[in-house]
Amino acid sequence: MDLRKTNKRLSQRFGGAVRATLSDGCVVLTGWLSTWNEAVEACQMAAKKYGAVHVVNNIVCDEAVAQPMRLPSLRDGALEGRRPDVLIIGGGISGASIARELSKWKLDILLVEKEADLALQASGRNDGEVHPGVDLSKGSLKHRYIRKGNAMYDQVCRELDVPFRRVGQYVCFDKGWLKPFIALYCLWRRKHDGIEDTRVISGAELKRREPNLNREFKFAVSNPSSGCVCPYGLTIAYAENAVQNGAQVSLNTAVLSMEVEDGEIKRVHTNRGTVYPALVINAAGVFAEDVARMAGDRFFSIHPRRGTNSILDKKAGARFSSIASIMELARSRGHSKGGGIVHTAHGNLLVGPDAVETFEKENVETRPQSIDAVFAKQEKTMPTLNRGDIITYFTGVRAPTFEEDFIIEKGRKTRNIIHCAGIQSPGLTTAPAVALDIEQMAVEELRKKKAVAPNEGYSPIRHGVPVLRDMADEERAELIRQNPDYGVIVCRCEEISRGEILDALRSPICVPTVDGVKKRVRPGMGRCQGGFCSPLVAKIIAEFLDVPLDQVKKSAPEANITFGRTK
Amino acid sequence: MRTYDVTVIGGGPAGLAAALSARENGAKTLLIEREARLGGILKQCIHDGFGLVRFQEKLTGPEYAQRFIDQVERGGIGVSTLTFVTRLERTQTGFAVTVVNRDGVETIQTKTLVLATGCRERTAKQVSIHGTRPAGVFTAGTAQHFTNLLGQLPTKRCVILGSGDIGLIMARRLTLEGAKVLGVYETKPTPSGLTRNIHQCLRDFDIPLYLSHTVTRVLGQDRLTAVEVSQVDGDMRPIPGTQELVACDGLILSVGLIPENELAQSLGAELDPKTKGPVCDGQLMTSVDGVFSCGNALHVNDLVDYVSESGELAGRGAARYAPAPRREVAIRTSPALLCAVPQRLDLNRDNSKTPLYFRSREVLDRCALRLRVDGREVFSKRYPFLRPPEMERLDVDFTRFGLDENSQIELDIEVMDHE
Repeated sequence: MDLRKTNKRLSQRFGGAVRATLSDGCVVLTGWLSTWNEAVEACQMAAKKYGAVHVVNNIVCDEAVAQPMRLPSLRDGALEGRRPDVLIIGGGISGASIARELSKWKLDILLVEKEADLALQASGRNDGEVHPGVDLSKGSLKHRYIRKGNAMYDQVCRELDVPFRRVGQYVCFDKGWLKPFIALYCLWRRKHDGIEDTRVISGAELKRREPNLNREFKFAVSNPSSGCVCPYGLTIAYAENAVQNGAQVSLNTAVLSMEVEDGEIKRVHTNRGTVYPALVINAAGVFAEDVARMAGDRFFSIHPRRGTNSILDKKAGARFSSIASIMELARSRGHSKGGGIVHTAHGNLLVGPDAVETFEKENVETRPQSIDAVFAKQEKTMPTLNRGDIITYFTGVRAPTFEEDFIIEKGRKTRNIIHCAGIQSPGLTTAPAVALDIEQMAVEELRKKKAVAPNEGYSPIRHGVPVLRDMADEERAELIRQNPDYGVIVCRCEEISRGEILDALRSPICVPTVDGVKKRVRPGMGRCQGGFCSPLVAKIIAEFLDVPLDQVKKSAPEANITFGRTK
Repeated sequence: MRTYDVTVIGGGPAGLAAALSARENGAKTLLIEREARLGGILKQCIHDGFGLVRFQEKLTGPEYAQRFIDQVERGGIGVSTLTFVTRLERTQTGFAVTVVNRDGVETIQTKTLVLATGCRERTAKQVSIHGTRPAGVFTAGTAQHFTNLLGQLPTKRCVILGSGDIGLIMARRLTLEGAKVLGVYETKPTPSGLTRNIHQCLRDFDIPLYLSHTVTRVLGQDRLTAVEVSQVDGDMRPIPGTQELVACDGLILSVGLIPENELAQSLGAELDPKTKGPVCDGQLMTSVDGVFSCGNALHVNDLVDYVSESGELAGRGAARYAPAPRREVAIRTSPALLCAVPQRLDLNRDNSKTPLYFRSREVLDRCALRLRVDGREVFSKRYPFLRPPEMERLDVDFTRFGLDENSQIELDIEVMDHE
């Protein structure tokens, strides 16, 4: 790393307002800038893509006033005095998959999540694509885990009873003269980077496979190993399996601070009491840098990047069955995947996401400009794409480092922490493989302190709630015979029965809110967006909990749906 | 296996009327309803004003529905409640209807079908509302369900977007329940609901109506804390710089209804992009032989009386249906009309007293509906005014016009010269 060159370029661009220094093996940027985009630009100038020396952003930025993390209002002592072997911070795909893999061992595992449910941030707010890795080259952690993670999906989803299909991905080109270059690129990816399945197919072949894509496409890169999974469904399934194997998941639980002594985290303060973990795993997404700071081990920075996806009616889903996007040459310098059109695991179309730098880690507001930008691009992929088919949209915030690679390593200064940070696309794809490595690292670390034996009762098998609408009539009738509630349809759009909703409430991680039920068994996910069923679902929850209806929440404890009895 | 002549899907006002009329016309009839009770959305419409045309009485929704339910319960009609249709398939003799209920999965054979599946409400995301996703954003019907069926107050201080009838009714209803309705915001320069509702629900309660305004954004993490409202231009686009925050805990949306025709589409029924319902003939038969449509699934109505009438028409058509080649002619509408039903006539059927429903595209004073065949006016009717929210209905004897398959039938509205 040539710091002098970096500082020269910084000085040319920002006139001495920002400076890079090497400190504790990190490139630390200090100074003052007025806008967040400038601060990001400065850090990106100093960062080496996929480098192991990380940029730490200490630039003071007028615009980006640090906002405190939103905390759950809950205050109790439920976890007071707990001494888990492993404390996992973060209930996204990383934390949940790590919890499940660690539950193979006879360990006391505690996963804390500050939100009211699992996968409420980036893990539940992405496009669900299981990537082929065609854009990744050797040397990055992303590349190290992508093929293995991708290959693991069949088994993991079978074990966890999560729908997964390898629908294939097409990167489409409208300029025929590019074909030989792209063919060479694919050959290089196959031979050099081990992306075995990537191929160039002709425009005619693309048309045959996906007749509703732009007829002007001359050729495409086809990646049959790409697939689609429900990202929050998989996260919940991982966590449920962990709980079945003895792990504990504590929702509405935020880490507030840590006490570190002699290079070890001794005490972790949460809103539900002080915890004394032997080992901490940092899977805190956009807050991974904050957790690292609490642990006295901050050697990287996260620069949040917002992305918005639209979900289209299943009627549109019938027009396209895979994943595709146009590849445009004049592409702005971006690090996240360029977005596309995805036939989701549930049969909708998903369009997006865009990528916008932001200092607001938790701002998941949607904006019309995002939808405009994404549709402007993807209407070129599929000219019949119709905004009138949009049933909902959502924003997620990615958690990249400035090196745009994952950080999967033990603490540099603090011994009893493992960071699983900088996780962004293709983090969903890599999660199964990353979790195995972190499991090994954790067991190795714990064995320095105690013997770690296999959990003899471990079962990798989790059964999800049956999906009756996908069953043959005979199978469905048999289930209804066993439980007539399966025959009472509550959500007409998604055809979800009362029985399935009650199953979700009786699942290993019960989240008795309208959103919690929606995430698990889909009432309200359809074209009426819960217009018909949300009162009915709320009523079922109230009866299940035996509480008045006004005690049923949308999601967080403050998310009141109603305010008590009418006059 | 159960077999019927007519199977009616949907037990709201349209389906109830269809089932009664099918039975009266001698058909062995089944009525399928997905909810536990018949009546459809009328169950939650506890305000009055229903039945003025039909019964010359002001009834509440449940009262209106009960008049039909009482007749249905007098017998002769098979009724399956808490029963949901999962699949429709064509057979050699008609249709196979697959349903699920607490007894399991059943396939029912029927000669004809009447689809009375109603409509759904347009949601916040379908009208491009952005911002956060807090609790407290309800469609008017959902708020009405909470208030009237579950006895729960969904908001204490709210903004209503859209001046559709349900929004206006809910403005009054929530006010009566002690909630503060800060205003009704309407994107269009004219109200969307019935004039009588503007008076009885807003003016009488001093609730302001803001025309050419919309809600552009919602705020609040867990529960709604405010909405951003903006003025809109002539193309109904928000005007930058006119944003204003309104603190509230509820946003009630009354921004349009969409006929539910997923079942109709599964059989290949052609839909009319204007009504979003199936293209039907004078007997309300869709483009699929033996499949009839009525009520709000056919086109969105503002008066339940016409919903019942279309149900009766469809039920009668279904009961009397015998396969026959069609001899069809289209009824076209000029741009002055928003939509019209029926969209075509089958000249092999009786078209001597065909109810014609239409809406004008704009608010018009002193105008006339003109029916032209091959460019020649054959019928006209004067109106002192026409308003898009108010559907017009008239009977037309199409047999007088000497129609054949090649006739060009066009409906038009002309504003009359001021004298």
